[in-house]
Amino acid sequence: MAKNKIMSRLGGAGKATALSRRGFLISMTAAGVAFGFPRSSYAAMDPQAADGVPITAVGDAFEPTMWYWIDTEGRVNVNIIRAEMGQHVGTAIARILADELEVSWDDVRITHVDTDEKWGTMVTGGSWSIWQSWPVYRQAGAAGCTALIEAAATQWGVDASTCTARDGTVTDGTNSITYAELVKAGISRSFTEDELAALPLKPHSELRLVGKDVTALDIANKTNGKAIYGLDAKIDGMVYGVPLMPPTRLGSQVLSIDDSGAKDVKGYLQTLTLDDPSGTVPGWVVVLGETLMAAKWASQQINVEWNAGETAGVSEADIQAKSRELIADASTGAILPTETPDTTQAFKDAADTLEAEYSTATVLHFQMEPLNATVFQNADGVWEIHSGNQWQSLILPTLSAALEEAPDKIIMRSYMLGGGFGRRLNGDYTIPAALASKQLGGKPVKLVFMREDDVQFDSVRSPSVQKLRMAFDGDKQVIGMEHHAAAGWPTGVMAPSFLPKGVNDQPYDVFAIDGADHWYSVGAHQVRAIENELANQTFRPGWLRSVGPGWTNFAVESFMDEAAAKIGVDPLEFRLNHLIAEGYNAGTVPDSVGGASRQAAVLERVAKMSGYGTADLPADTAIGIATTFGQSRQMPTWTAGAVQVHVDRETGTVEVQKMWLAFDCGTVVDPDGARAQCEGAALWGLSMALYEGTEFEDGNVRDLNLGGYTPLRMIDTPEMEIEFIDSTEVPVGLGEPGTTVIAPAIANAIQSAVGVRLRHLPMRPDDVLAALKA
Amino acid sequence: MVNLKINGREVSVDADPATPLLWAIRDEIGLTGTKFGCGIGMCGACTVHVGGQATRSCITMLGDVEGTEITTIEGLDADDNHPVQEAWRNLRVPQCGYCQSGQIMQAAALLTDIPDPSDDDIDAVMTGNLCRCMTYPRIRSAVREAASANRGQTQNG
Amino acid sequence: MFKQICLGILAVGAIGAAGFGVYAYKPAISPVTAADHASFPPEQVEQGRVLVGAGYCATCHTAKGGEPYAGNYAMETGFGTIYATNLTPDMETGIGAYSKDAFRRAMHEGVARDGSHLFPAFPYDHFTKMSDDDIDAIYAFIMSEVKPVRTTQKENELPFPLNVRFLQAGWKMLFVDFGEYETDPDKSAEWNRGAYLAEGVTHCGACHTPRNALGAEDADQKFAGAEIDRWQAPALTAANASAVPWNAAEFREYLVKGSTKYHGIAAGPMGPVVHAGVRELPDSDLTAISIYLADQVGADDSDPADSQIVQASLERNAPDRRYRQAEGERLYTTACAACHYNSQQINAGRPDLGINSSVNQNDPSNLIQVILYGVNSHQGTEGVVMPGFRDALSDDQITSIAAYLRADRAEQAPWEGLRGSVTELRARGPGTH
Repeated sequence: MAKNKIMSRLGGAGKATALSRRGFLISMTAAGVAFGFPRSSYAAMDPQAADGVPITAVGDAFEPTMWYWIDTEGRVNVNIIRAEMGQHVGTAIARILADELEVSWDDVRITHVDTDEKWGTMVTGGSWSIWQSWPVYRQAGAAGCTALIEAAATQWGVDASTCTARDGTVTDGTNSITYAELVKAGISRSFTEDELAALPLKPHSELRLVGKDVTALDIANKTNGKAIYGLDAKIDGMVYGVPLMPPTRLGSQVLSIDDSGAKDVKGYLQTLTLDDPSGTVPGWVVVLGETLMAAKWASQQINVEWNAGETAGVSEADIQAKSRELIADASTGAILPTETPDTTQAFKDAADTLEAEYSTATVLHFQMEPLNATVFQNADGVWEIHSGNQWQSLILPTLSAALEEAPDKIIMRSYMLGGGFGRRLNGDYTIPAALASKQLGGKPVKLVFMREDDVQFDSVRSPSVQKLRMAFDGDKQVIGMEHHAAAGWPTGVMAPSFLPKGVNDQPYDVFAIDGADHWYSVGAHQVRAIENELANQTFRPGWLRSVGPGWTNFAVESFMDEAAAKIGVDPLEFRLNHLIAEGYNAGTVPDSVGGASRQAAVLERVAKMSGYGTADLPADTAIGIATTFGQSRQMPTWTAGAVQVHVDRETGTVEVQKMWLAFDCGTVVDPDGARAQCEGAALWGLSMALYEGTEFEDGNVRDLNLGGYTPLRMIDTPEMEIEFIDSTEVPVGLGEPGTTVIAPAIANAIQSAVGVRLRHLPMRPDDVLAALKA
Repeated sequence: MVNLKINGREVSVDADPATPLLWAIRDEIGLTGTKFGCGIGMCGACTVHVGGQATRSCITMLGDVEGTEITTIEGLDADDNHPVQEAWRNLRVPQCGYCQSGQIMQAAALLTDIPDPSDDDIDAVMTGNLCRCMTYPRIRSAVREAASANRGQTQNG
Repeated sequence: MFKQICLGILAVGAIGAAGFGVYAYKPAISPVTAADHASFPPEQVEQGRVLVGAGYCATCHTAKGGEPYAGNYAMETGFGTIYATNLTPDMETGIGAYSKDAFRRAMHEGVARDGSHLFPAFPYDHFTKMSDDDIDAIYAFIMSEVKPVRTTQKENELPFPLNVRFLQAGWKMLFVDFGEYETDPDKSAEWNRGAYLAEGVTHCGACHTPRNALGAEDADQKFAGAEIDRWQAPALTAANASAVPWNAAEFREYLVKGSTKYHGIAAGPMGPVVHAGVRELPDSDLTAISIYLADQVGADDSDPADSQIVQASLERNAPDRRYRQAEGERLYTTACAACHYNSQQINAGRPDLGINSSVNQNDPSNLIQVILYGVNSHQGTEGVVMPGFRDALSDDQITSIAAYLRADRAEQAPWEGLRGSVTELRARGPGTH
């Protein structure tokens, strides 16, 4: 399938293959200090260490694969290529490895590595990290364990099969020896790839760390101010920069700069007009100062005249109108490879049809740590990029183009991320820092985005418009469904070569349509993904926590309730009737084994948890439900949510009283981490459903800070109940799925409570009032 | 030159008195545990204690804190074991962690003023602190746990 | 305004030039030398130090960034800028050449050593009530403890004829009731002590009593409240708009700490009154002033904590999940409540805005000033600050917060022209206090 191929190039679907090709060129020889780059400055690599500096091996370490080493003290250092932005990803991955390696958790350290080609694709997104790491780090651990057992057996002259390993010690019942001692003695062992593939992995029942409670290694330093984020980077001799951004994201040109007013600002250094061969930040001006405030104050005294790009007058309404126009034109977009994408006959035969349009407003990331990057050229001539980032492999070629340096002359150092949520998948914010340093001959420049700059430069979640249709036969049975979705395409803009092609040979962005290709059996099913060029020109569409599934599922799951209502069936029953694990929706081993039946199971679970349909609720109060498969058909995280709301008819306020969620994510690796991700994702979903959203005005978003942008806060946080289905299946992602069910569940609850259907996100009190009055 | 006491240490900061305290703490004094979020006092990431009161350092001018005693996350407890920090670790509140210095400083100040806060009290005071990872349910629980610890009660689950 | 002033001066003219000349003429008093201030008893010097604090002399006699008491502090009088004189014992540019008698005459009559009339920006209309003993103590303190500083006196920026010192005598004749404080036999000794201090050295009326067209305190409206430097000095009478009446305990707490739970803080021009000075007075004197002022207000001694008004205001603190409905409430909930929220009782460090004087006053200036420019460590409660929101909130946003506090928290009629006041006070910039 086209999508598989694409995902693997993204570092997605390939999973084991993408990583293992590099990871298992094993030379089981005693290695020297196995890990380490020349570090002229600090980067926060070990989130457990007070200074962020990872441990170094004592003695000659044993480095069975590049993913970890064991030193002569028996300490295990696990290399993590994923960014830490709140998922405690290093802890989860290290536990997968440590479990197979049979070491004590106390001996495990983690290192978030800097970029190097050997790591392969470095990306942290799509809720992929655990799913992709699971097979790789298990095999890596098993390989080390096997080698250590064999070394002990050889020493004792016994058969390796009589030996077992546990807590960093090998024993055969008579003798025992620690890993530390074995490493000290020196180990030499190599595997062929076939041998590696044949390595036995522990049965689920013998997992000792996976699935067990643990406090993540990064937590303590996040309670005492010691965790080091990109904004904390400090390089000797650095100057500070703040941007003066052009009136449009693309296409602006600087006509003139007058900095005479800034000359009196103490600490003001100079103003740079960026010359960007990569084309990432056209029309950018950076003001430099000895201190951040000197740069900031100076920037307020500098007048820049720009020739604005074409999108200077674009409004949200323009973008949405464009989407509607595109949807109305049947020739646009890509038709996804669903089982029966041709719906012509179904709608021709239909006794009745249902149609509805759903739309969503622009959403900001507003990650707590504003964008920033510190860049300089070190003594070895290597450009160092100090910044938190989620997709190093994507931005490195751009940095290379901007700096006009070979990729091996650029290194991105690891920091903790003060929130990612997809914003830092797009590393565009490192480019102006790199260009400024380049223009200063490699002098360290710390570029800090003030919040308003960060927001203006955000890769927002695109506004979207979707049209859904359903065809029913004379017996009120569903015989066909269409889903037409138009929006800005993040992958289309940032990595167009990764787009797969639909059945009509048109490319599409999976991140802007995933979710529409649902697991309901609806007869003929057409899913059409349409790229809104006006959106793409006006802003850089972003991947924002669940991306497309955040809007596609709002439409699908609202529409399922509308369809159920149309034929007079309870929404829960209607869904269950169509979640049939057959054919296209039967699922495939291993990632989606069970198919639609697992989605039905979580839905039933959440209905039971919430008392849906049975609870005795006061007036204007109701529970709504929704279910999704998380991020994509390929890596389904079976998700269901129920939300109880009370609607105040007078003010239109929707009071969210309680939320219930059920997940089937296969094996749960880090139970508390999993729960935390689901709590956060569900509340993001709530925030985007009711509270946050902005609009484009004159080419930029209207709300640049918290004065006007109003995300969920403590006071808005309802009670929540979350359950996980016990499972031994492949672990899949949890960072995003929780976001996807909340908005439709609320819309459905509002409709149950007061009989109005809201089809636009966010659903503000004014919208509720307007609908009530209509 | 502005003189103040930070985490028990006397310091003289040679910076423009109009400099936000946040940047003086981070870039001049060198304590980076206090974070920059919104710059307009509406996210709470920059919260420190001035004279024991939770204060948004991003909009507080350095010149205005002449002679005060300031506490940052680094100085909340000599062993990083303030009851609020303990509760934060026990309940594994932090995700990305970026807002948590501010959350912890705000919570510590809250418990000084209102030692046994109700949920309404927690909502009212902690709503000024934004968390984009949405760790709010855990913050709420951790504030309650820290309050219990302060009262010397044993906490069950 | 200017026309009225000229008329006033013409009126003075009508009294008769000759008689006026006699009245206005004051002889120079011979200079003394440094040796003449040789030694003062330490108790007298200490008494002087306290009184100099109580009169917060340094506030108006120290220029921004200048040496203490060395003058040149710019006072915007409404008639023009007057630069305070050098109060240090420098022989040539300060008051080093003043004899004790010359100093008494300056304090009691507003006449400089050389016989020229002082401008009433110097509140001799209050100091005239002080005893010789107290004035001598101040003299002793200045001459022995204040470092002499040589300065160049800035020229006052007053239009003619206001800049004619000789004519100041007419102003005195019209408006000043010269003479030491006279005890009111119907009142307690404490009350009388308070009145002596409040009307004399601490010159409360200078700010809290409205002035007439010629800049003199309007005796008929004593303590009725007035504007000063675009702050509102609240009424110290029954007309005071505070939700909770100012009783003696509240006044006392305010004068000691710079803030009270039930009213608010000493900020703006009142900041230095408390912090640079009045607090120096002994407890008994602060109590006396408080008793006197509470009597002016007419408040009883009940504990405000029990008051219905306070309880009602506390109830209005309860967080409301519909806070997003109105911008003012939303902004208050996200930007202000973290510090201003109170639960079962009002916490000293958490000013409750529903009963705060700045919200209950008929003029929004004080509230706007504090929102815009904050409260520094030397105002309000010592060592505690409130950040200013001038770079964080727009005029519209500040207006909406203020309107919310006024309507929903204080439950008072809306302020008229609120938005304009915000804009004006922002344009004016932070004051000098």
